[in-house]
Amino acid sequence: MTSDTRDSASVREDQPLLRVEGLQVSFPTSHGVVRAVNDISFEIGAGRILGVVGESGSGKSVTARSIMRMLRAPGQVDGGKIMLHGRDLLNETEATMRDVRGKRIAMVFQDPQAALNPMMRVGDQIAETLIVHGTRKHEARQRALELLHKVGIPDVERTIEQYPHEFSGGMRQRVVIAIALANEAELLIADEPTTALDVTIQAQILKLLVDLRKDLGVAIIMITHDMGVVAELCDEMIVMYGGRVVESGPVRTVFNNPQHPYTNALLRAVPRIDTPAGHALPAIPGSPPDPARLPGGCSFHPRCPVAVEKCRTDRPPLEVLAPSQRAACWVSASGGDVEALPMPVVRTRTTPEEPGKPILQVENVRTNVGKPRHPIWAVNGISLEVRAGETLGVVGESGCGKSTLSRTIVGINPVGEGRITVAGRDVTRMGKEDLRTVTSTIQYVFQDPYASLNPRRTIGQSLEEALSVAGVKGHAARTRSRELLERVGLNGDHLDRYPYAFSGGQRQRVGIARALAANPKMLICDEPVSALDVSIQAQIINLLEDLRDDLGLGYLFIAHDLSVVRHLSDRVAVMYLGRVVEMGTAEEVYGAPQHPYTAALLSSTPEPDVDARKRERIVLAGDMPSPANPPSGCPFRTRCPIGPLFNKDREICATTPPPLAVTSNGQIAACHFAGELAAAATV
Amino acid sequence: MAREPRRFNLTASRYLQAFRQPKGIFAATVIVVLTTAAFLAPAVFPGGYDQQGRDALLPMSPEHLFGTDELGRDILVRSLFGLRTDLTLVYIAAPITMAVGTLLGLIGFVSKTTGTLIQRILDVIVGFPGLVLGICVVLVLGTGFPALLISIVVIGLPTFGRLARAALLSQQQREYVTAARTLGISRSTIVVRHLLPNAVDAIIVQGAVFIVHAVFLEASLSIVGLGIQPPQPSLGALLNTGMRYITQSPTYILGPIIILLLLAFAFSLLTDALNETVNRK
Repeated sequence: MTSDTRDSASVREDQPLLRVEGLQVSFPTSHGVVRAVNDISFEIGAGRILGVVGESGSGKSVTARSIMRMLRAPGQVDGGKIMLHGRDLLNETEATMRDVRGKRIAMVFQDPQAALNPMMRVGDQIAETLIVHGTRKHEARQRALELLHKVGIPDVERTIEQYPHEFSGGMRQRVVIAIALANEAELLIADEPTTALDVTIQAQILKLLVDLRKDLGVAIIMITHDMGVVAELCDEMIVMYGGRVVESGPVRTVFNNPQHPYTNALLRAVPRIDTPAGHALPAIPGSPPDPARLPGGCSFHPRCPVAVEKCRTDRPPLEVLAPSQRAACWVSASGGDVEALPMPVVRTRTTPEEPGKPILQVENVRTNVGKPRHPIWAVNGISLEVRAGETLGVVGESGCGKSTLSRTIVGINPVGEGRITVAGRDVTRMGKEDLRTVTSTIQYVFQDPYASLNPRRTIGQSLEEALSVAGVKGHAARTRSRELLERVGLNGDHLDRYPYAFSGGQRQRVGIARALAANPKMLICDEPVSALDVSIQAQIINLLEDLRDDLGLGYLFIAHDLSVVRHLSDRVAVMYLGRVVEMGTAEEVYGAPQHPYTAALLSSTPEPDVDARKRERIVLAGDMPSPANPPSGCPFRTRCPIGPLFNKDREICATTPPPLAVTSNGQIAACHFAGELAAAATV
Repeated sequence: MAREPRRFNLTASRYLQAFRQPKGIFAATVIVVLTTAAFLAPAVFPGGYDQQGRDALLPMSPEHLFGTDELGRDILVRSLFGLRTDLTLVYIAAPITMAVGTLLGLIGFVSKTTGTLIQRILDVIVGFPGLVLGICVVLVLGTGFPALLISIVVIGLPTFGRLARAALLSQQQREYVTAARTLGISRSTIVVRHLLPNAVDAIIVQGAVFIVHAVFLEASLSIVGLGIQPPQPSLGALLNTGMRYITQSPTYILGPIIILLLLAFAFSLLTDALNETVNRK
């Protein structure tokens, strides 16, 4: 951000663009009234970026929809004002609101796939917005071209005629942003706009938003759960919990000196890319409250490490506690320290230094996900090894083949070429006996705890099913199920409940318990925390670490979140387009990345640290190519910041695939020019 | 979050919820009354359906509620005996069709090739209009109860086969099915334990629709003379004869039609009630 945008914004600060005062929203349901938003006030000046942070059920999306007057039934606004340029939107007629929507305030949604009409050309969708607000038809097309160009879509004359399915996720989100900007709205409400996108694509979109603010002076309300995104992008922030604002203020002040214990805990519970492992994360106990049953007093008190008696009975008001910073907390209001958190346990691990026997060996494995005659190699020659008590982290973006790899290991996808050895047995053919070896040695923890449990079976039934495969049946199975539940930190009496009675984090615990049923030696964790709320992620990560250290399990830990992988992993493999492009210990890979893709990934990850904003970022151009049609030579050359795109003379990248080999400083990477970008990326 | 646990109870009690709403109660009452009347008919009218009176083709009257037929037989009695034939037919045909169709639809999880092959065969069956198909079966097997039963089952199979396959296709990609596979559970066990329960709702609802369909099918085949053969009565056979006397006794066909419509109406309501019960969010 340049200094003059900040100045021009601060001049207009006394006349905010949008001011929300005492907003209250409720949802009358058959179980009673759910108060989703309780007395929320905030304001945003022209050209500013306001971050709204909160977990699921905190009321952040409901607030956004209320501003647009587009609450889903049966939601209703019970009180408050939404002042846009001094006019209360809540008093406007529906006709006026239609004019406001799109023209004054526009919205960008989380899922660009769902926000675009699949049956309409993108050009027509942009033009539609323009024509609705009074642009003539022939001008609309010209303007649509300009807009597509402005949001960074290449070759606009051709792409304007395409349908959304011909675009990648990041490109679709750009189109959604173009539609939002079509009528030069002053305020953009972005509801988790990058959550569904990959890290490198997220970096592109965040950069685009910053540029648009600079060029067009558009104000942005950025709704997110990711503290990193807030630190990267926003000027001010509000933190929401249980339908209320618990803290607000300038981003720098809040990050450096949080006044509410929830803000503080959120900041600490996230694993950081620049901190080595070795400590348990200071997790927030419990889970975010159900808006239908908010606790009395301060709604955070049941999870708060510093709560006092008053917190249980009286609700703290949102008060000015530091210059320009407000928080709703009795403890900090009375001068108490909210940063006191229980000291994290220092882990004592012996295994990485003296690793056990290899449990899993994968040698040059290729997996075909296409037809036999037209192969699509989603996994294209991968070798790796997991030993007892050791965690191998696999990092990569969607489409890199990391899930296919794990599904190949457990025999869901057949092995195309190469060899897989599990517990000393060659299981490449995945015959009956082979599969028995695999399932008794390796178990799987899934990403989505809502989909991985059968909704029609009690968790007891799910666990007993897993146990029966291991030969434990009847009464013994019941006893063992209780033990398993208690092992993963759940109440053993809850065996007869159905999955929907559990929160996301609890379901993930059930999923882990089920994986442990057969006493496996190794777990494959496929994005085990990415579907969970931030405060829950730390709990699950801690649980996984405890289990590894107590039971000596080996982990193949697959994730797109580099910070989480760093926290858990001893060794890391970085995947791109079905290949491993870099491999090494976590310290090596994160400390001195040798492959330009690793460097770009590290640099793209938003960090919950305001000072990180200053560092130079490597924002990759374009998207990952399709494995159906991979580029010749190095698979990364089409996006590589040091490859033939920028250095014309580097023809070798297009002709010869680089082998995974030892680089000049002793690490392992697949790049002809390994190590070149390492210096730039080191934080 | 706060829903009742029994929502996912797979026992019959879940479907019995349908009979708690007025619609369901009404449907159940009509079905029970009609079924009882039909199956008690031989006991109440020991003379059977062939007892002839003196007056033929009488209109509706307090004595003969639905009038009499061309041989002076009471049409109400014949309608009840006819209903008995029809209900016997559909009460046998429906469960067979539902079970076989579901099995054919779900087999695709155990063997992909077999599953695809079966679906293509079912597609071919769908290609023929039901009545034409029924006529073909009857022409091959000859008229009579077994032939009628088989043609109804054959015509109904594609519906259930496709419903079950739809459930299979939507569920087999779900992670809990993958989870079961990574646990080392056999495919046939997964079908019974995880896939079948997800198909059952749609199958049960469709089953109620199918009963109406089957009764009409019997009637259609009988009207063209290929259904139940005289002197055994069926609703369709009654309509068939009644049509011939439509100029002399226009009320002849009214009785069987009323019973047919009542049955259809009751089962439609039942479908509706079941549908609301299983899809309640």
